[in-house]
Amino acid sequence: MTEFAAFSVAPSRAAVVEELRRLLVPATAGGRAPLPFGLPSLDSHLPEGGLPCGGLHEIVPETESANAAAFGFIVALLGRISSPPPPGPRLRAPEWGREKVIFVMPGYGLRAHGRFYGRLSGHGLNALGLDPARVILVETAHRKETLWALAEALHSGAPAAVAGMIDRLDLKTSQKLQLAAGDCGLPLFLLRPAAPSPPSPACGGGWGGGSAAATRWRIGTAEAARDRFGMHARPRWHLHLERCRNGRPGEWVVEYDHVAHRFSLAAALADPALSRGAGERTFGQAGRS
Amino acid sequence: MTGAGGPRIAAANAAAERSGLAVSELLADARAKADTLQVRAVDAAADDAALRRLALWATRYTPTASPWLRDFAGEKNGADGFFLDIEGSAHLFGGEDRLIADLLDRLDRFGLAARLAVAATPGTAWAVSRFHRSPLFVLPSGEEAAALAGMPIEALRLKPETRTALRRLGFKTIGALIDQPRAPFAARFAAELLSRLDQALGRVDEPLVPIVAPPVYHSLHYLLEPIVTAAAIVAHAGRLMQNLVHVLTRDDVGARALRLCLYRLDGAVETVEIGLSLPTRSVAHVARLIDLKLDAVAARQGSNLDLGFGFEAIGLAVTRAEPMPARQIELTPSHPSAASGAPRDARVAATPGWGQDDNTERCAALIDALRQRLGPHRVRRFEAVARHLPERAEALPPTEGETSAWPRPEQARPLFLLPQAEPTEVTALVPDGPPRRFCWRGATYDVAGAQGPERIAGEWWRLPPPSAHSRESGNPTLGPRLRGDERQDALTRDYYLVEDLGGRRFWLYREGLYGRETAAARWFVQGLFA
Repeated sequence: MTEFAAFSVAPSRAAVVEELRRLLVPATAGGRAPLPFGLPSLDSHLPEGGLPCGGLHEIVPETESANAAAFGFIVALLGRISSPPPPGPRLRAPEWGREKVIFVMPGYGLRAHGRFYGRLSGHGLNALGLDPARVILVETAHRKETLWALAEALHSGAPAAVAGMIDRLDLKTSQKLQLAAGDCGLPLFLLRPAAPSPPSPACGGGWGGGSAAATRWRIGTAEAARDRFGMHARPRWHLHLERCRNGRPGEWVVEYDHVAHRFSLAAALADPALSRGAGERTFGQAGRS
Repeated sequence: MTGAGGPRIAAANAAAERSGLAVSELLADARAKADTLQVRAVDAAADDAALRRLALWATRYTPTASPWLRDFAGEKNGADGFFLDIEGSAHLFGGEDRLIADLLDRLDRFGLAARLAVAATPGTAWAVSRFHRSPLFVLPSGEEAAALAGMPIEALRLKPETRTALRRLGFKTIGALIDQPRAPFAARFAAELLSRLDQALGRVDEPLVPIVAPPVYHSLHYLLEPIVTAAAIVAHAGRLMQNLVHVLTRDDVGARALRLCLYRLDGAVETVEIGLSLPTRSVAHVARLIDLKLDAVAARQGSNLDLGFGFEAIGLAVTRAEPMPARQIELTPSHPSAASGAPRDARVAATPGWGQDDNTERCAALIDALRQRLGPHRVRRFEAVARHLPERAEALPPTEGETSAWPRPEQARPLFLLPQAEPTEVTALVPDGPPRRFCWRGATYDVAGAQGPERIAGEWWRLPPPSAHSRESGNPTLGPRLRGDERQDALTRDYYLVEDLGGRRFWLYREGLYGRETAAARWFVQGLFA
């Protein structure tokens, strides 16, 4: 009752929102800090100031041809996990940041809509800033094995993160995975193939229907950032945060620097409307204060 | 079995022997003697398999069971039996007499008429089991020579030619051979004769070839009631591991490979092999791996493990042990084991510096579990290979041992490599220029920018040397004699990182240097960039 009382007497809207937020966000992260993008406009948009560590994050390519870009986004996020050395006393520190990352890649599921779109390349991971020596690749033969391997990897608590591909994700499966990830405090990144047809209202309205994932990102391709010699310097992705627990959707175009493991907003956007989500936020804050 | 004059008898049962039939008699004669004769063709492979199965079953008495197989003995009949080295295990059954009495009883229940003998050497045991009056005989140590003396020379496991030659020379018993001077025999016969004699008398060691590699540590339970459920198997295996842990701790070693043997009531043996990526002494971990394996077997067969009437004995053996020095246990609260499935203590993970060894162990436990359930070749790691061709520049070996360090990335490399470079139609301004437009998988892509070329030469040093003919003719193009993949390897490739108008990035290459290696270069898509 005390909390309700607090709402009724709270003078400002901001305080109410803050209080609600405190009540809504359970301590699921298992004590781990969220994973920030290192990008203020993006981090301030997310409710915890970053991707919640214990949670399922769905990554959906915009079209089938954006599969590689979507997986590249996952690899970039994984590369950022525990890349900086920990603060404080360096007790047995050389091991730090060498935590393994588990990739569950279904041997059957590398085909999207009947087409094989390639196998993961170690040199490609390396070029995106994720040390391939950290990666353990698990190949599964069918969907049941994929789900088992994902849950097993999460429950073991051994890796820094778990990533995978799955052919489809229904509400129940996503709930299970979200719970497993929340219990263990590990992030789980799942790449789902692009929906073959536009979303139909019958199956929940959104792309691919209902899902219990903490966030869902739709990734589109964007023209790469070039250096002054016209060489491809940094990949760029069109991020569309479709759903976010306790947060609002948003849209950004970011580029990723694989050497510094750093995201940045793409400079000189052709379409200024693309950073809409971030813009609204700043306006809203300005209006309140 | 067929021979001169028609089919002959290879083996006969007791009833047939009573009616006067003998092994290697002509079948026609035998039919004349016994009109109710039933005949089956010899199936040597099935006989050997059955003998192996029985020997495997006999590992319940001792780990060293060695079947006496046909090809091993080089002998056509009588090659049916197995040796058990019971030296260290007889006391577990209350002595040699009790052990072979038990063995005879069990074989009898399988419907096998067995002849058993215990002796100090395999050779003597073989001879006694076949040529002694009693089907069950324990020869006291030191009496080999006396026991063998009265036996015919067939008891020496000799080749038929040697036996015939000895018979012709008038040697009928082994006793006649023992006291003879050795030199004439060595000159007259192959080394076989003297070595068999020495082996039987214990002058020379005869190593037995065990049917399965003998374990380093071994623990076995005989059950009063047969067990039929997977849960019971796992529980018993856990108890066996608990027994082994004491010994392993004493020797400062941990198990790297384990074998679980389940002895079925009807004499068949099911084995479950368990591999571990780090030496372990954890009972819970091993029990869980066994559980997973039983699950995997059940999933694959659609039904459960073939239980038959249940298992009467369970053995757990450590087949590979590695040093595992004692470690100080950390003061932070230990995480709940993975088997319980409970959320781990967040404090361990949140404290940097602590629990790193713990993490290595947990990682190893995870890899073990994945390998056990999915199969060892399905859990892999990336390994760089020092080759230039992109499709050969890395390998995916199963996770085993330490991973090597990767080189610092120098060139752009695609995140996804197509399993096979796919031919594509390319429009370019000049034949050896970058692509302007290409068609791949039914879609046309307009190139916004191309970066390259990055030239990767074919691996000419791996090709067979060019023949004299092509060198003389000075033909610059590589001949069509090369097979497809070799030909592809031989050509130089120019790689381009291509970005289309939609921001999709591809890795294209042109095969062959224009004008030097080829007249019409072909283009391929090999990878997709993030």
